[in-house]
Amino acid sequence: MPPRDYAAEKEKIKQFIAEFYTSGDKGGKDFKYAQQMVKIAHREQVALTIDIEDVAEVDPDLAEAMVENTRRYIHLFADAVYDMLPDYKQREVETKDALDVYIQHRLLMEQQHRGGAEPRDPRNQFPPELMRRFEIYFKAPGQQKPLAIRQVKAENVGKLVLVRGIVTRCTEVKPMMAVATYTCDRCGAETYQPINSPTFMPLQMCQSQDCVTNKSGGRLYLQTRGSKFVKFQEIKIQEHSDQVPVGNIPRSMTIFARGEITRLAQPGDHVQVTGVFLPMLRTGFRQVTQGLLSETFLEAHKMTKMNKTEDDELGAEELSEDEIKQIAEDDFYEKLASSIAPEIYGHEDVKKALLLLLVGGVDRAPKGMKIRGNINVCLMGDPGVAKSQLLSYIDRLAPRSQYTTGRGSSGVGLTAAVMKDPLTGEMLLEGGALVLADQGVCCIDEFDKMMDADRTAIHEVMEQQTISIAKAGIMTSLNARVSILAAANPAFGRYNPKKSIEHNIQLPAALLSRFDLLWLIQDRPDRDNDLRLAQHITYVHQHNEQPAAQFTPIDMKLMRRYIALCKTKNPVIPEDLTDYITGAYVEMRKEARNNKDSTFTSARSLLAILRLSTALARLRLVDVVEKDDVNEAMRLMEMSKDSLVGQEEGTKRQQQPQDVIFSLIREMAPPGVKTVNLADARERTLAKGFTPDQFDEAIEEYEDLNVWQVNAAKTKITLI
Amino acid sequence: MPSVEDWLHNPLGIIQGIFDQHGDSDLPLKVGEYFQNRLGGKDALAWVPSLNDTPLHHLKPNSLVKFRCMVQDMFDPEFYLGVYEVTDTKFYFSLRSGRYKDIAECLPHQEINLESSQNVTLDRQTLYCVPVPGENPWVKQGFTNSSQARVLPSTSYQPVRNKRGLEEEEDQTPLPGNNAPTSEGQNCSREVSNTPEPESTEAKRTRTEDEAGALPSPIPDLNFPLPGETGPACLVKVYQSSDSLKLNDVIEFVGVLSIDPALATFNTAAGETATSAYEDGGDMMDIEEQAAHSPPPSLVPRLHAILTNKLVHTNPGLPVDLTTPTAVSGITTLTSEVPQIRQQLCSLLTEALLGDSLAAEYLLLHLISSVYGRRDVVALGKFSLNISGCPGETSYPQLLYRLLQELTTKSHFLPLTLANMNSLRIIPKKDYTANRLLSGVLQLSERTLLVLDETQLEPGQLQTTGVLNVQALGTAVQWQKVDYDFDFHKTEFPCNLRMLLLSEGRSLIQTDCQVPLQPPSPPQQLENTFQRVQASLTGDYLAKVRSYLTVTELMEYTLPEDIQKVIEEDFVQMRSADPKNMTAEDLHSLLVVARLLALSIGQTTLSQEVWGRAKQLETERKTRVKAQPQTQART
Repeated sequence: MPPRDYAAEKEKIKQFIAEFYTSGDKGGKDFKYAQQMVKIAHREQVALTIDIEDVAEVDPDLAEAMVENTRRYIHLFADAVYDMLPDYKQREVETKDALDVYIQHRLLMEQQHRGGAEPRDPRNQFPPELMRRFEIYFKAPGQQKPLAIRQVKAENVGKLVLVRGIVTRCTEVKPMMAVATYTCDRCGAETYQPINSPTFMPLQMCQSQDCVTNKSGGRLYLQTRGSKFVKFQEIKIQEHSDQVPVGNIPRSMTIFARGEITRLAQPGDHVQVTGVFLPMLRTGFRQVTQGLLSETFLEAHKMTKMNKTEDDELGAEELSEDEIKQIAEDDFYEKLASSIAPEIYGHEDVKKALLLLLVGGVDRAPKGMKIRGNINVCLMGDPGVAKSQLLSYIDRLAPRSQYTTGRGSSGVGLTAAVMKDPLTGEMLLEGGALVLADQGVCCIDEFDKMMDADRTAIHEVMEQQTISIAKAGIMTSLNARVSILAAANPAFGRYNPKKSIEHNIQLPAALLSRFDLLWLIQDRPDRDNDLRLAQHITYVHQHNEQPAAQFTPIDMKLMRRYIALCKTKNPVIPEDLTDYITGAYVEMRKEARNNKDSTFTSARSLLAILRLSTALARLRLVDVVEKDDVNEAMRLMEMSKDSLVGQEEGTKRQQQPQDVIFSLIREMAPPGVKTVNLADARERTLAKGFTPDQFDEAIEEYEDLNVWQVNAAKTKITLI
Repeated sequence: MPSVEDWLHNPLGIIQGIFDQHGDSDLPLKVGEYFQNRLGGKDALAWVPSLNDTPLHHLKPNSLVKFRCMVQDMFDPEFYLGVYEVTDTKFYFSLRSGRYKDIAECLPHQEINLESSQNVTLDRQTLYCVPVPGENPWVKQGFTNSSQARVLPSTSYQPVRNKRGLEEEEDQTPLPGNNAPTSEGQNCSREVSNTPEPESTEAKRTRTEDEAGALPSPIPDLNFPLPGETGPACLVKVYQSSDSLKLNDVIEFVGVLSIDPALATFNTAAGETATSAYEDGGDMMDIEEQAAHSPPPSLVPRLHAILTNKLVHTNPGLPVDLTTPTAVSGITTLTSEVPQIRQQLCSLLTEALLGDSLAAEYLLLHLISSVYGRRDVVALGKFSLNISGCPGETSYPQLLYRLLQELTTKSHFLPLTLANMNSLRIIPKKDYTANRLLSGVLQLSERTLLVLDETQLEPGQLQTTGVLNVQALGTAVQWQKVDYDFDFHKTEFPCNLRMLLLSEGRSLIQTDCQVPLQPPSPPQQLENTFQRVQASLTGDYLAKVRSYLTVTELMEYTLPEDIQKVIEEDFVQMRSADPKNMTAEDLHSLLVVARLLALSIGQTTLSQEVWGRAKQLETERKTRVKAQPQTQART
């Protein structure tokens, strides 16, 4: 490869900066860099970020060279900008600090000297670094994939790389000398020494013309005010846990941040850093000891903080056609649900509830009142029915989640605590699991064994979605917009269906009613299930993998992205459905009163139905809730109640509602007589907790089957 | 053609030769091939001196050595000059390979040209390796005996000085194992209980001195997982396939030893050269890291790995590779003897377990158990055993452990005393200041037997660390995984340990399987019993038992279709009969018992009889467990 002509490159760069434009909003040309140059010339802006994508648009070769040989091109750009700056100056600039005054004076001095046409000693010339008050940074092209730290190898040395990691340590920001300025005690001449390495050897003897000819042996003294310092910070980042292959230790990397890049991150932050990967230069003794090795660091050009969810979203481009196809089949709801914890057999309805919990309902905030959209689910059940496994699966699946037990050992607990910072001694708030899971899911295992202080706090979280703190002079309210997924064990070892829930799980009714769905998972012997379970287990033991199921579970990442997509929808409930819902709710209340149910049906249940149905609509990616959504929501509610009632009824209700209605009506008919009053039948079925819709459906369906006939006036049913 | 002496004593010369011939591309591959050929010969490996049993000062720098070790930590990759140019006084250029060495070398009249455009920067992976933790003495001895290497002490050392090598040094220097926070076991508990004793106060004083003294002139903590271990730690530089090596793998490296004193970084020297404010500030962060990452090579030698062998087992009585024809024939002869060996071992264990044959059966199964697969959170094949009803107030657990130590290759005894729980580091933790992984007791290699002695537990207060430690032990027992503490997050590392809990009552940690000990007669004279048992374990027979245990644990196992059907039917039946006592968990453990039972009699497939026997064993055990709480209530 022939050596590049860097002078020509510099011309290209100048041209690029001056002429690059994007078409602006009003059809005019928007000179992106030229405008910034004006600002820089007036000292209103310090950092100039060159987007390599823009360069690639004009000159792909140049862009590639910038990525490959970044350090060199930074200097070229800096030189070019420096040369061009005077042209952009439109008015006199106010001097801001001592260095500005120095620069001005120096420029004046130089002009005077030029008049004398006296050649200057290069060492006494002003180094360009001293005169520049701007910083050049490159922004990596968008299509460049961020690397894991372990993927940064020797071949990346000198190139622009994009890495991601978590900040583990950072030093304080300190001034670092960029140019040292000395004055001579004899002749008064200034000498400059640009510094590029972490160490430097101070100059001793004056090298100016005067001193050298006179052999006066002038000594040089360092001038702090005349020197240029830049802000400097050393940061260590470590790989994310998901970038580390199983059984490996996360790797780390040192980052040097200068100037504007400093103070952008703190330990614990997730960051994405663009920078030049460089070997560290050591001088003197160090160079001898390090032998063949060289330490490396990343010179940061751009550092962006991101939180855990954003990080996931960054990977979430639009779902491709194939993926949509994979999800959007007829039974996508069942498919998605059974893709949750595929290793746990059965429990379809529980999984459906968990799926809705992940998607969540729509938040409403009419006139200052806040109605939560998050769905809370409580799983109860005998020990060893995979509750904890379901919880830990959800914890893994949800993009933002916290897993904790009710008896968490940390002092912070579930809510928040005021702690003394060990370093500064300041009081600060430390968020507990519920605060950390804001906008996500908080999985609480052993919910019944929760500490009392947390139990009172959780009331607030579950309805108002905030946590109020009044401790140690700090009074505040923290957001805790979480969906709570709780798991609890029955108080007496096994669930006793003859007792109420409060008795079974020692939690107050006020807390239990805040759960949209309560689910009891029981362990019952059942031949078919047992056989399938046994097959499953033996298969796993033999082949060490999942048996080939009827369906392939949807990939966790795809699920996550689909759920993120669902969350962007905000479906509304249309006017015509409101009557239907209120009717159903009134029925539920009636039934609850009649049956002396062990569960509660309150206004909260109505809200729960609304939440569940909006979540279902979200899942279908539509903007309007449909009747089917409401029906499914009510079915889930019904199933969750059934799971609590106990064995005998449990099996019966598995049937289709139509069949149950049919048998109800048949029972109504007195022996011998084969007609039933339709209005009576309707009343009877509604009293049993069915919706008017289901009743109509049943009537129609059985009429189609020719089991009964309805007369034209719709008043009588005749059984055949 | 270079002679044996050459490749053993001057591997770098050979590597340079290969480099001159082929250039740098694929160099590690070619070098690996070359040495593989040399070492492939019969017993050639035995001629290579081993770092494990040869004192460091007996080994020549830059010679070929081997090292049997566990990967304890992985450092960041190192960037080095893979190829560098050397100029001599006559301006004659030549290229040299920088691989397999730490320090760029050249002849006296030559100079390294750091600016040359022909230099190539490469990266290599550094692993911090420690001797296999918990390796039992007989294993070490076995390897030493089989070694053919005659290492002549280099002439610069007086033989007398050689004699006082490591042992004395260990006595004088405060090794991490002797330090208070990490010390464990009887020492510690005794000190706590007898505080008034003058000896213990003295011990405390020296301890504090040790700690204080350790600060200014740090003797690097060698970071062994188990306290009280000795042996060389080693920084192994790996040149290829570094991703296939995992943490806690047991590996035998063959490579070039590098112990140049220039590798040590001296903090004082660094302080002197630091001239500017930046240098101080910039390095402030790194002093500890330097200490941890470049300890003096006299303590932690460097090894440039040429060959890496993952070891499946560390039994010196068996060939390293069990798939070679000779090894296979050896195994077949052993399998023919399996029934007798098993019979004898069983009766031996019965005697050790005070005459309880059921417990002996389970202990035998436990000794060959191993996690053979993982599916999401479930570890298949885990078989942690709790032998409850151990006679309290006696040294029974220790005696039993001493016996097991003779049988297994890797084991560790951990008394669950309060002091231990509160002070011991059980979970490995990342130390960001030194940028390394501080090891913990649970950082053990695969198939290590960990005996937890719960009989020593006394009432008292568990501190926060204590609670976390017990939790960590609990997850290790139940899920076979350890959550390493990375400060900002926890990372899950699967482990494969045999956890044996000895307790008086039911263990506080939930295990897969509990066997209450029911000796037919009250235990008497435990010491004598164990002496008798130990005495019967001799020479050839002992070797056979050891090989038996290693071979059976590594056997392949299949579950034939027809038996699967039988199992399924059985499960459904058992469940309809008694759903409370037959859950999915029970089926899992029943399948594991059946598997181990089949393996223990040398069968690789499950047969009807074995399945029946497994069911019988489990029922017997369960009735015992059920009877247990009542008997306790009565007493």
